[in-house]
Amino acid sequence: MTPDPLMTVRADLHVHTALSPCGDDEMSPPAIVDAALAAGLDVIAVCDHNAAGNTGAVGEAAGSRLTVISGIEITTSEEVHIVGLFPTVMAAANAADEVRETLPVADDDYTRFFGEQYLMSADGTIYGREPRALALATSLGLDEAVELIRRYGGLVIAAHIDRPTFGVIAQLGFFPYEAGFDAVELSRHVPAGSATTDGYAAYGLPVVHSSDSHYLEDVGCVATEFGLAAPTFRELVLAVKHREGRVLADA
Amino acid sequence: MKLESIARELDLTDLTPTLAGAAVAEVTAGYASDLLSDVLANAPEGGVLVTLQVHLNVVAVASHAELSAVIFTSGRAPDSEIVAKAMAEGLHLYATESDTFETVGRLFALGVKGGRDA
Repeated sequence: MTPDPLMTVRADLHVHTALSPCGDDEMSPPAIVDAALAAGLDVIAVCDHNAAGNTGAVGEAAGSRLTVISGIEITTSEEVHIVGLFPTVMAAANAADEVRETLPVADDDYTRFFGEQYLMSADGTIYGREPRALALATSLGLDEAVELIRRYGGLVIAAHIDRPTFGVIAQLGFFPYEAGFDAVELSRHVPAGSATTDGYAAYGLPVVHSSDSHYLEDVGCVATEFGLAAPTFRELVLAVKHREGRVLADA
Repeated sequence: MKLESIARELDLTDLTPTLAGAAVAEVTAGYASDLLSDVLANAPEGGVLVTLQVHLNVVAVASHAELSAVIFTSGRAPDSEIVAKAMAEGLHLYATESDTFETVGRLFALGVKGGRDA
């Protein structure tokens, strides 16, 4: 059997929208797509805090120009951030529903302090506001959050593990090998190909570089290069799991 | 002060009652933090950790930092797997309904000081 021809795919697997309270209100579906294309990305993953209500709209805004993966960034009860990437918008939505219901309802004081949580349609119109307080920690422990993502067919990535806040190492002291992460994410503060990256690679898991952008100008400021047969979620999973010759390179 | 006496004075629930040594372990210092990287860097050897962090890594970090005991506050308690690990590591675990502030205050009143002053 001839191996599938591979193409280089640039992916930024952690982008927020205006749904995240800390996400800039300019982070609308069409604006994110434009920013991603301008940054030369082929794939983005939309990962709002504890919610996935805008992922479908970003995908719709992108059409065939850009692959949009539906994701979520869960804050566990240990205040560890983990990214879940899902095969479909529906899987992300169902997973997010389970996450959201562990959070209290946002009141006016919350919104004043943390910011608006806009639900947007593909053209950027605000059609609603997320009622739950997405900025808070869920009641899901790390193990429960990992299990939840897996149950919906998702990939589990330890978010920004180099950061002093909400990274798994800062919160838990040692990297929790038993947690079952598929990959670790490094922030824009760690240059790809650096000795620091090599240090984190020593956990034995694939390393992705993601922007964690909350502002348009940060989309794609770092990215991960993959060698895939097509820019799809399925292909991405193969690369992360080192299967069928798919690869993940330091971008 | 002996760990056993501290547990009695603060009316702590002993999560590792079959673990020997609480009667003889002398505790003079303590640390309060939920950030385990901070515990690892700053908690005093032989001290007691006051935290509401109940992840398994509390045990790994506490034994690496050579702490003698962990007090879980605000009614939070680790699951049985974590207690078993602590037993294996010889780490005493306690739980209390009191919050961290209250617990630390009472420890301080008993003469248990912060790591830099102990």
